Parts: sequence; structure tokens; C-alpha cells
Amino acid sequence: MKSLVEAAKALAEGFATTFNHLFRRPVTEEYPEVHRVLPARTRARIVLTLDPDGEERCVACYLCSAVCPVSCISMQSAEKEDGRRYASWFRINFARCIYCGLCEEACPTSAIQLTPYFETCERDILRLVYEKEDLLVQHQGKDKEYNFYKVAGVVTRLAGKGEHAREEKPVNVKTNLP
Amino acid sequence: MPRLIIDEREIEVPPGTKVIDAAERLGILIPRFCYHEGLGAVGACRMCAVQFVEGPVKGLQMSCMVDAQDGMVVSTSHEEAVEFRRFIIECLMLNHPHDCPVCDEGGQCLLQDETVSGGHGLRRYQGKKRTYRDQYLGELIAHEMNRCIHCYRCSRFYQEFSGYRDLGPLQIANRVFYGRFKDGPLESPFSGNLVDICPTGVYTDKPSRYKARRWDLQRTPSVCIHCSLGCNTVANARYREVVRVEARFSGEVNGHFICDRGRFGFPYTNLPGRPRTARTAGGECSQGEAVAAAAEKLREISSTFGPQAVACFGSSRNSLETQCMLKRICRLQGWQVPGFFVDPALERRVRAAVSLLDASAGVSMREVERADCVVAAGVDPVNEAPMLALAMRQAFRRGAEILVADPRPIFLPFPFIHVPVSMERMDSFLEGLARLAGESSDGTGVREADLLSQIVQNGGLASSDLPLPVSFCRALFGSQNPVVLCGTECVRESTLPAAAALARDLRKGRDRAGLLYVLPGANAFGAGLLNSQGHPGFSRLLESVESGSVRALIVTESDPLNDFCHRDRLLGTLGKLDLLVVMDFLDSETARMAHVFLPTTTHFESGSCFVNHEGRLQYAEAVHHGGIPIEQAGGGSHPPRVYRGDIPGEGPKAAWVILAELGRTLGIPDRDLLGLGPWSLIGEEIPSLKRLEGTVFPPEGIRILSDGDPVQWVQGPEARDGEDDRGAVPPGDFFEILLTHWTFGTEELSSRSGPLQKVEKEPYGMMHSDDARVLGFSEGDRIVLSLEGGQIRFRLSVADRMGRGVLVLPRHRKLAWRNIPEMPCFVPRDRIRREDS
Amino acid sequence: MIMWFAGLILLIVKLAVVLGFLLFLAAYLVWVERKFLARLQIRYGPNRAGRYGLLQPIADTVKMLTKEDTIPDGADKGLFCLAPAVVAMTAMLMFAVVPFGPELSVFGRKVPLVITDLNIGLLFVFALSSLGVYGVALGGWASNSKYSLLGGIRGAAQMISYELALGLSLVPIVMLARSFSVVDIVQAQERYPFILVQPVAFVIFMISAMAESKRIPFDLPEAENELVAGFHTEYSGIRFGLFFLGEYVHMQVLGALVAVLFLGGWRGPFLPPPVWLFIKIILVVLFMIWTRGTLPRLRYDQLMTLGWKMLIPLALLNIVVTGAVVLF
Repeated sequence: MKSLVEAAKALAEGFATTFNHLFRRPVTEEYPEVHRVLPARTRARIVLTLDPDGEERCVACYLCSAVCPVSCISMQSAEKEDGRRYASWFRINFARCIYCGLCEEACPTSAIQLTPYFETCERDILRLVYEKEDLLVQHQGKDKEYNFYKVAGVVTRLAGKGEHAREEKPVNVKTNLP
Repeated sequence: MPRLIIDEREIEVPPGTKVIDAAERLGILIPRFCYHEGLGAVGACRMCAVQFVEGPVKGLQMSCMVDAQDGMVVSTSHEEAVEFRRFIIECLMLNHPHDCPVCDEGGQCLLQDETVSGGHGLRRYQGKKRTYRDQYLGELIAHEMNRCIHCYRCSRFYQEFSGYRDLGPLQIANRVFYGRFKDGPLESPFSGNLVDICPTGVYTDKPSRYKARRWDLQRTPSVCIHCSLGCNTVANARYREVVRVEARFSGEVNGHFICDRGRFGFPYTNLPGRPRTARTAGGECSQGEAVAAAAEKLREISSTFGPQAVACFGSSRNSLETQCMLKRICRLQGWQVPGFFVDPALERRVRAAVSLLDASAGVSMREVERADCVVAAGVDPVNEAPMLALAMRQAFRRGAEILVADPRPIFLPFPFIHVPVSMERMDSFLEGLARLAGESSDGTGVREADLLSQIVQNGGLASSDLPLPVSFCRALFGSQNPVVLCGTECVRESTLPAAAALARDLRKGRDRAGLLYVLPGANAFGAGLLNSQGHPGFSRLLESVESGSVRALIVTESDPLNDFCHRDRLLGTLGKLDLLVVMDFLDSETARMAHVFLPTTTHFESGSCFVNHEGRLQYAEAVHHGGIPIEQAGGGSHPPRVYRGDIPGEGPKAAWVILAELGRTLGIPDRDLLGLGPWSLIGEEIPSLKRLEGTVFPPEGIRILSDGDPVQWVQGPEARDGEDDRGAVPPGDFFEILLTHWTFGTEELSSRSGPLQKVEKEPYGMMHSDDARVLGFSEGDRIVLSLEGGQIRFRLSVADRMGRGVLVLPRHRKLAWRNIPEMPCFVPRDRIRREDS
Repeated sequence: MIMWFAGLILLIVKLAVVLGFLLFLAAYLVWVERKFLARLQIRYGPNRAGRYGLLQPIADTVKMLTKEDTIPDGADKGLFCLAPAVVAMTAMLMFAVVPFGPELSVFGRKVPLVITDLNIGLLFVFALSSLGVYGVALGGWASNSKYSLLGGIRGAAQMISYELALGLSLVPIVMLARSFSVVDIVQAQERYPFILVQPVAFVIFMISAMAESKRIPFDLPEAENELVAGFHTEYSGIRFGLFFLGEYVHMQVLGALVAVLFLGGWRGPFLPPPVWLFIKIILVVLFMIWTRGTLPRLRYDQLMTLGWKMLIPLALLNIVVTGAVVLF
């Protein structure tokens, strides 16, 4: 009998709680009219950033495409005249992308970054396949400092042998001095 | 047999095995940089340290420097060893640049792997890094010395293993530098192996620079088809394009390495001009339409002129399946028996080589490496079959004496005895050697002086050459495991039996004496097996075309215009044909003349069998499905933005499949063609291979030589159809022209490779300095050779160590050698003159 | 003859009005449910199609009609197509015996405000309700899908269990009204609604009714987090729509039955009788939705325990007590 009363009480409490909710203001944000400001680290549309010198950061090392769990990134690396490695084309299929951010984590040059912009819907699925021109942005994204070719140790227009950060002058292989 | 315990597991290994190898047999891969199975141990990198807990050796030792001994207890995961290796890898990484993302080695880098396995995750050293200036090492290898960890693998391979001297270590202490004294292309035709053996990215593959990461590549075991050795390779493809070929270890064939022709010769399969659609007279059409058009015309011709009016022609680069299918269709349709070589004498030489080899005589390259005495007759290994030169060098390193009898100037990367015997006298030279060997084994006492003088006389040698053969003959008598190498490209027909006889004589009183023929083409052995009596020879075929009795010619993956000497005649003859059907994957000249053209796949696109020089049947798996490479489809930019279900340019099929379709259209039931399956097809056409049916293909291939009667390999008796061997030197003062191959630039497929075209030399002709002096020529002169077919212009190079009375010309595409009317060719001296300056 | 025609026309008009009202209400009940449930969960609910989302039912209907109608490969086509019709039809037929007002006099002719006054009206309701379960069971079986089959079996088991309690709970009502005719039962509530004398029967009937209409907390046949969508997993388009429609018509019918059997049917002051019935139906339905917003789904064994070990004995006890009271 006691349990019956308790059950009835519990039921009544439940019904009362839901009833009370009827008179609360809905917490829903009405999305297309109200745009919420998303945190900078929100994972949405992917961009390719530039280094502080204004050159493409991406060196087409294939790490993002290797780590991508849905294989939505493809590219072809190539070499510029000054020896700089870059992506001759770079393609992200946003119809397949799951915005997991692993590419950003894998990127050794801070080139590929996820941004909070997420309104990329298209009716034609081919328009969700972004090429390098669509992905490139004219800023450094979240990492304002890093410039891979200044520390890499390979010869480019930026620095020759021994001119990168923390490098000694090249060894003179023809000297007799100890 | 020492028994030892590694990581609590016991193993018994042959004496002399290093501990690092013993561990590998247990599946324990001890970290290493300098140790390489093919190069041996030096103990330079200190990475393979393990702890010896019990036994004859105790404490921390390098596992690559310690022979496995009884009672050893080894721990690879001992605290001290792990700690030691962690410090070693940290030290090795001190100066390593921060460039993995832009390094082609990334993803296949031993240094990356061992850095991770050694537990060195974070750089603690904050000081400055040592740097080097890189060198230009030619068009095949890129140099990036900053990445070097000084393991000495490159110099050991380059200098010790392959015998070239232009790359090696310089400087001392912390400044050790690997490179050339001056910038410049590497001289070795084996330089590509530096890419494979370098544990990090100091040497990277230049043609495939920045093309792909290892993990993105479709990789498959393949076989090199740029000479008859059949080296094992790994083909790497990406985006419908073969991007790289690497060496694949094969204990019997090539060991760990391949030559640069095999490594960089593949681009013919990616060429933008590669034909991918069928063509008839009416223009491009579908494969089916072209086959139907060809079949209709063939039916018409055979009903009007009889089936013998149809002839077929293959080549030594055909896969075995293609050769068998071609033969089969000819048999079933009553067409002429197919030929595979444009030179009837060469065809007979290949046939002879195949029939002379049997299991007791034929040797693999591995056995050449183990030989203690090598006689090479009429073969130029570096140019004809480069890896053979490396095998001979390994024999030399083991102490073998090596003699090369050849009138051409021969270069080999080790000291050897060069006897410039003329081709004419090669047989008697070999016979002399054989007699010498026979004498010695009889124990009747060697009358060396007599015999040697005979050899020298027979060989047409100068007496100054005498001392060398004497020392060599002593070595030959004393050898336990001699090997006779013989070429087929330039020698006379009778030289092949002479070489076999020498091997046979040497076998008396010894366990073994090997015989190895270098054949012209990847599947020349297959062609030799198939080719039987009844084939008239290519010149007869041309005569029949000219006389009108042959009206149609089917050419499968062959370019007679490339191989045949007398170009003008062949052009005219092909023009007389009612029907020329060409199947090929190359945009060859013959293909362009075809009435019906059918594109085929390369062996990278459809798996196929090849039989190498020693009769080893090897299977090259398909690495990709074919189609126009994405780089070309995208025009250099990104791939086209379209969805489609098919692969652009996937039209070509394997030549034997197209042949079967042609046969089916002509009314042969499918169960006699493709329905047979490849094994039965091969068994049907080569009865002695029937026993292979249903065999599971082993990775090292199947040696198809049998122990029995060697004659059974060639169907029926040796066909001598009236064409005499025009090897006899005509009376008078003549030069014999020897058409030779070069490592780069003459082989049909690899000469289409862009990177190799950049390294190949400008063609030049060679003659003995005495001959040049007599004619008043000197090094570098522009020479004109006037023949009936036209003129040949070339730059002259003179040499002392070569035969007199020969003019050596490469079969180079930049040289008009196809003006030579016929081989062998003898030209009077007055036809050779200096170009007027 | 003329009278006969007039009767026929009258019947058709009544049918059209009732059916139209039923379907319209079913459509808007969806809107009501979504809106009401949303507010219970502090949301807005549909608010895009029309003002307050009022056009949502139309949009839903259009969507349902235009969606691709798929039939799975292994399905039994005939039964697969029949099942939704059975569900929708039985639900609608049940309304035939519900009176929505007293007898009306039109041009001197007496018009009963009920489609048909069967003297076994309640049995008719039970019969149709039992038939309805065939739709669920057949649909589940004919889909050739494990989820559908499980849903169908659960549906059948649940129906059998709760049909019993449903029937037994009404025996006292029949005893009080001394008739199976629904019209008579309404008549019998002239002085007071039966809920006042039969609260236990009311509770049992309410619970059983919710179970009959497969509503939360008794939605085991659909149980989307276990069975995808239960018996209608494989249905799409208008066939799915029919199942949907059936469920909401069923809600109305049960609401109407509660109103008619316990709340005095169309009786009420000031307002016209059909309006009173409408208000009562809506109140019952709102209660059902409120329940959905409050209670979680029962586990299968709890469902069976509740049915067999509590409701049926309670209903039997109620019959005995009522019988005793009526007798003495």
C-alpha cells in the first residue's frame, strides 16, 4: 500500500514537472534568424592558410590525406623553381568530410585549419568538392607565427644552406684543418 | 650449428650468421642503419646494440658484428641496451633537419621508424645543426646531405659492392660528407640503388620526386623486362600512373639490387602519346569494331589467297601468354608459323641457346656470384645485361678470375682480363680453352705453352696479350666452380655450341660448371621455346610479301621498323601489304603504318609471364588497371571535375586477349582460346610445360629447365632452311660492323624514358686506335660511313683495348644504323671517311 | 421511396462530415502533439510552415504523398500493401458507433447524431480493435525484416494482453447502463458521468487505451531505439502515412470512447453537444500527449506484468464489486 502511494506520488511529481515546463520560455535558438557566434576552435569548413610571408603554407606532404578517416583529401605535390614543395592541386570533398579535425592535427606546417564557418550546403554535390583556389585564404588562421621553410633546412628562396633557424654555416669539405 | 637464445627463444643458425640475422629469423627486427644483408656489417651506426647476458661474449655489443655462437643468451630489450639505443638515436638526430614533410623518404624512412622505435620523441638539443652543401648528382638521384646519419651504406654499395669510385666519403670527424669530388652525374649505372639502401632521405629518386608517398602507392611484385635477366622489381603506381620501380629481393636472380635501366626505364607506360584507342583506315573506333574489321579482311585474304597468305610476327618483349596465343591462332587458322626476331641468324642463335641449356648447365645470377672463375664470350655485361656485371663483380670480390673475350671495348667495374678475340675466331678460342681444360683434367700434364700459343693463334691475338691468358688458364684449371657466359647479340651462330662445349668440358672432374646465355629481350627464352621449324625467317617473310604470296601481317607488340637493319626495304615491303594489323602499347612507327591498330596493355596493367635467360618462368603482377594518368587527364591541374563510371583510356587489353578475340571472331570456339586459361594455353603450345599446369606460382618463379634431353625444348630438329650463316669474313681489307646495345639509349622500351634520355650519351662509333691511325682518324672526328642503304654519320672514339678490324656502333635512335642493309656487315675501308671539315 | 433516398443522402452527409472531421483532426492532432510536446520540452515545435507551423500537417501530407513508395525485395507484396489499410480502416470504422449528439429534428424527421446505433456497439468496437492488430502483425511479418517482425510480434502480444483488460474494465459500465449500445450508455449518464462511480474502471480503461494505441509508455512495437521503427520500419511514403493516420485516428476514437463511456459523451451545459464531445476528446488526447512527455517506455516484462498481474485482476475485482453493488 505504501509503495502504491509512493508510486502515485512519483507519477504525480513527474506529471507536475512536465506541466510546469509548459510555462517556461523555450531555449531554442532560431538558427537562420539568430546566428550564434561560434568559438574560434569550432571544427567546420577547412581552409588552407598562408605563412607570414604570404606564401602558401601547404607543402603537400600528404599527412592530412593519410590521416583522414574518410579519405576526402587528395592532392599532388610538386616543386617550385626555388625548390619549395607545394601542392599543384589540392582537393577536399566536403560531401565526404566529417570535420573530425585530424588533418589539422597532422599538419606539420599549420597550413590546413578548420574554421567555424559551417554553412557550406549545396544542391549540386560536385560543388562540395573544393579545389585549392576555393580552400586558400589570405591570412594565417589561428597560427600567426609559424613559417615552416624558415626552420626546415631545405634550400628555398627564403633561406639557403646554413641560413635557417639554428643552423651552422655549411661544412667546408675541402679543408685540411682539423 | 650454433644454438643461441634471443629474447628467451632458442634458435639454431648456420655458422657465421650474425646475431642480428639470427634475431631476424625469429622475427625480431633489431634496429639498424648501417647493416644491410646485401652489403654486410661494418658496425658504424651503433644502433643494433643488444645485451649479451650469457655465453662467450658478454655485455653490450653490436649484434651485427658478433657471430652467433653456442650458448649465447641475448636480450634485445635489456634495459641497458634500450637506453643505449635511445641515446644513439638521439645523437644521430642531433643534426637531422626538420624537413620530413618535404622529404620524399618520409613514409618509407628507416630513420623515422627507428627514431620512433628508439623512443626519441622530443628534441632536447637546442644548439645549432651542422649543414652541408648538396651536390648535383645527375638526373636520376637527388642529394640532400643534411639528412645524413653517416652509416656508410652508400659508399659501401657504390664502391665496394658495385665497384665505381666517383662517390664516396670525404672529410673527417663531425664533417664526414658523402658525395663526389665535384658536382656531376654519377657514373654508375646502378646508382638508383642508393635510393633504396639509404636509410634516410640523402639520396632520393629524382624522376619521381614529390610524386607520391609510399602509403599512397599501389605496390605489386613485378619483373623487369628491359633485358633478359628478369630482375625482380616492385612496381609502384598512383593515379593511374607508374611512378617508381624499386628492387625486390630475389635470392636467385638479382639479389637486393637492380640497374638504372630497370629502375628508370618504365615511363613508356605513362607516355602522353601512348595509343589508347583502336584505329582502322576509317579512323578511331572501338576495339570490337577494329577486331571485326581485321577479321573480315583476314577472312577475305585467306579465302582468296589461302591461309598461308597470312603471317604473324611477335617479339621477345611479348609475354609468354601472348606468344603462345599467337602461335595457337596461327596453328588453328593454318596461317604461317609466327616469327619473333627480325634477324634470322639471331632467331637461330636464341633457339640454339634454349636447346643447349639444361638444368645441369644453366646457372642463375646468384650462381655467377659464387663462381670462382668466369669466362665471358661475346658479351658486354654492363651494356647488354647490366646486373650481370654486378654478379660478376661479386664473383671477383670472392676471388674469382674473370676473362672476357670480345672484340668490343669492354668496361666492367672490376679488374678482368680482356681478350679482344674477333667474333670470327671466338669459337676456336673457346675450343682452345676447352681443350686446355680437358687436358688438365686428364692429368696428363699440361703442355700449356703449346696450347696457349694455339689459342693465341686461333684468337688472332697479338703476342703482347699472351701473359694474361696464361695466368687465367691456371686459374681456370684450379677452379672448382667455373661459369661460362655467352652473348647472343653479336656472336656467330657456332659460338653458342662452342661455349656449351667449353662448359661441358669444364664439368669433367668438377661438381659444377655453369653456362649462361645473355638473350636478346625479356622473353627471348619463351620465343626460343615456341619457335620451331617451319618459320621461314624474317627476310624470307619479306620476300614473300614482296612477291605477293603473303598479303596480311599481324604484328603483336613488336616494332620491326625499330629492330630491322634495312629500313627502306622494310618500309616499302610493309607498304605492299593488303592488311597490316598491329597490336602494341607503344606509339611505334610500325603501329603508325597499320591498317588496323589495336592498343594493348603493358605488363604493369595486366599480369603476365616472362621467361628469363636461365629459363625461369616469372610472373609480373598487374600494378594498376590502366587508363590515362590523372596528371595527363587533368592537364597538369586538378583532375577533371566529373563523375563517370568508366576509367578514361581503359580501352587497351592484353595482347593475348585481343588475339583471342580475333580468333573468336574468325570462328575458333572460345574454349580453345581464353577458355583454356593461361596455364593450359602455355601447356598446349609448349608441351614440355604441361607438367606445370595447376602449379601454385612460387614467388621466386619456376625454373622450367629439365634435366633430360635438352633437344626436347625445341620442337623437332633444328631447322636450317637454306639461309647460310654469312659470318665468313670476305677476302680483302674490311671492317666488320658490330651493332651493339648500350646501357641507356638503345633498348626499345627504356629508350623512351625521359629521365634516361637525359643521362644517355650521344652515340659514337668505336674502332681500335691502330685502325684509326692507319685511316688517319683521331678521337672525336666526325666520320661518314657510306653504304648501299645510305650514309651513317657518327663521332669516332678510339680505344686500345678492343679488336682490330671492327667498327662498333650502338643501336642508338640518334644514329642512322638502319641504313645498314644486312647483318653481319662488312665494309671496305674506303667507304669510311672523315666528314669534310 | 423519397424517404429512403433522404435517409441515404443523410447517411452520406453524416459520413462525409464525420470522416472529414476525423481525418482533419488526425492531421492537426499531429501538429497539436508536436507543439504540445515541444512546449513540455521547452522547445518551439514546428514553426516554419505557416504561422505557428499551422500548415505543417499539409506539408507533411504532401511530403508523404510524394515520397517514393518502396516495397522490400523479399516482402510479401499483397500483405505488405494490405497491412496499412487494415490499420487505418479499423481505426476509422470504430467511430461509426460513437454518438456525437442527441437526436436531432430536421424538417420533422428524426436524425440520430451517430452513424449507426448498433445494439452491440461496444462489442463492435472491441472487434475492430482486435482486427487492427492484424495490420500491425501482418505489416511486421510481410516486411521480411527482423525489426519489423519483432515489432509485429510485440504488437500482437501487447494487444492480446491489453484487449482483455480493456474489455473487462467496461463490463461494469455495461452492467450499469444495462446495454451494449453506446448511445444507450450515453443516455445512462444523464444524471452523472460514470467516472464518478467507476474511477477504477476509468483508470484501467485509460491505461489500456494508451496501450491499445501503442503510445508511449507502451510503444514497444515501434521502440525506435531498439527496433529502428518497429513494425513499419520498411514502410515509406503514403503506406507509412496510413499507419501514421491509423495511430492518430485511433487516439481520437479512444478519446471519444473515454468521453462517451466515462465523461458523459456529448453532454454538457451551454455549448452544443458535438462541441462538448470535441472538447472532451481533445482533453483526453492532450492527457495522452502529456503522458508521453512525462513517462519513459516500459520494459517488455513490466508491460506484461502490468497487464496480466495488475490490470486484469483489478478489472475482475471491479466487476465483482460492481456486480455486488448492482445486485444488492
